[in-house]
Amino acid sequence: MRRDLFVVSLLVLFLVLSLGQLGFFDLARLSRGASNLVLFSRETVPPDLGILPMAGQALVETVEMAMAGTILGFFFSLPLGFLGTRSFFPATFVVLPRLIIAATRTIPSLLWAILFVIIVGLGPLAGTLGLAVYTVGYLAKLYYEFFEGVDPEVVEAVMGVGASKLQLARFVVWPETANSILSQLMFMLEYNIRASSILGLVGAGGIGFYMQVYIQTLEYQRLTTLLLLILVLVIFMDYFSAWVRNHYLLVR
Amino acid sequence: MTKAAGAHPWVVQAEGVWFAYREENWVLRGISLEVPPGAFFTVMGPSGAGKTTLLKVLAGLLRPQRGRVELLGFPTDKGIPAEVRRQVGYIPQQLGLVRSLTALENVLMGCLGRQRGPGTLMGLFPKEEVERAQECLSLLGIAHKAGERVYRLSGGERQRVAIARTLLQNPPIIFADEFVSDLDFLRAAEIITAMRDIAHQKGISFVFNMHELPLVQEFGDYILLFKDGNILHQGTAKELTWPLVQEALR
Ligand SMILES: Nc1ncnc2c1ncn2[C@@H]1O[C@H](COP(=O)(O)OP(=O)(O)O)[C@@H](O)[C@H]1O
Ligand SMILES: [Mg+2]
Repeated sequence: MRRDLFVVSLLVLFLVLSLGQLGFFDLARLSRGASNLVLFSRETVPPDLGILPMAGQALVETVEMAMAGTILGFFFSLPLGFLGTRSFFPATFVVLPRLIIAATRTIPSLLWAILFVIIVGLGPLAGTLGLAVYTVGYLAKLYYEFFEGVDPEVVEAVMGVGASKLQLARFVVWPETANSILSQLMFMLEYNIRASSILGLVGAGGIGFYMQVYIQTLEYQRLTTLLLLILVLVIFMDYFSAWVRNHYLLVR
Repeated sequence: MTKAAGAHPWVVQAEGVWFAYREENWVLRGISLEVPPGAFFTVMGPSGAGKTTLLKVLAGLLRPQRGRVELLGFPTDKGIPAEVRRQVGYIPQQLGLVRSLTALENVLMGCLGRQRGPGTLMGLFPKEEVERAQECLSLLGIAHKAGERVYRLSGGERQRVAIARTLLQNPPIIFADEFVSDLDFLRAAEIITAMRDIAHQKGISFVFNMHELPLVQEFGDYILLFKDGNILHQGTAKELTWPLVQEALR
């Protein structure tokens, strides 16, 4: 009890100190910010619906990027996660796959997208690859953790009859973990749809490109339209993935 | 091919085996035993006596610190080669079944050691393996549950699936840990009868531990009674007397 209180006061102290450091308690700045906010919000409504056809197309491209990036990353994360599983491979072996996984996860998808813009040029391909690489780092880590949770007796039983590692993956690991694997995949898709909407900021395609344009040209009413579209998409994804989970997963 | 089990007087032989999971914390203290081909070899002892450990050591899954184990004529001290491993059936206490696969699919796992081609990865097994798997299920009286997923089967049915998987593997020796402990007496007797018939028919040796004294006396060809890692009695089940059992359980 007393220890909880101590921890909470420490957290509050830390919050106050760091906010102060970041300029949060600068009153002049705050009031200026408030009036800017009023100005800004006055300029953002009503949304300009004239750009809907074009924005819709950009939104489709965003979803395509997210889908392709997620699925591409998924295909790589399965084998990489498998190779990183301590209960199937010796500790000296899993070091390399785990290093790759950790490295890809360390760099956010936006930075990967910048890198791919440099490599493959502007456009949605760069965004797709950026999302894919980050997806690998994120999913592969979750996957080796799921794989390590597979009952060792089942692994022992199947390896004991002389099965190959691929057969182990196909007949034990996949059936035992498919549910968690797929529900994390849905989660990743949701995440990537949100992430892909800003990839256009660095020239990597999708709706983010127009966001950046409208921010720079101060066309906030058009920006509002884009944000509303993204909101609709995210809400739709929430329902869609809940529906998939209810109908196809966890029914075991 | 390895040397046939019949070429050796014993399928498993242990000589002065000592085993500890942690330094000097002996679980097995100088165990010696021999399992002849086609025998029904039962191990009895109170919980924590080291029965599971003994089975794993005999099956080559654990290596003893002292003494020596020979499995199908191969010493296990340097780890046994894959072809020998494939000829050893081991049914763990929790059975090691894949819960979300069907009974038949689980039985088919037993042939993976000889069917390592890419076809199996797409779920394609040779017709004769599928037929044999179905026969194994019939033999144990659960052919009608072949298409049922394991998580829907009862404890007794799961036990049979695990045996059927090991029968499809077709090893000359099968180890089974706490084999019928989760079953009621009649089910246990039924399964043991089925197994003994198979053992005698196919010349397979069974090494397993079990608690039910009447079953041990009725079915065991050989019996090892042990406690705290020491053997109290070793011989035929007929020689097993109540005072000996009392001594072990005290
Ligand atoms: N993996 C392990 N690591 C350390 N100690 C173990 C392990 N498995 C079993 N033991 C210990 O070894 C002894 C014998 O265990 P076990 O062979 O499982 O007995 P039984 O099967 O007869 O109940 C027990 O004291 C147990 O705590
Ligand atoms: Mg045990």
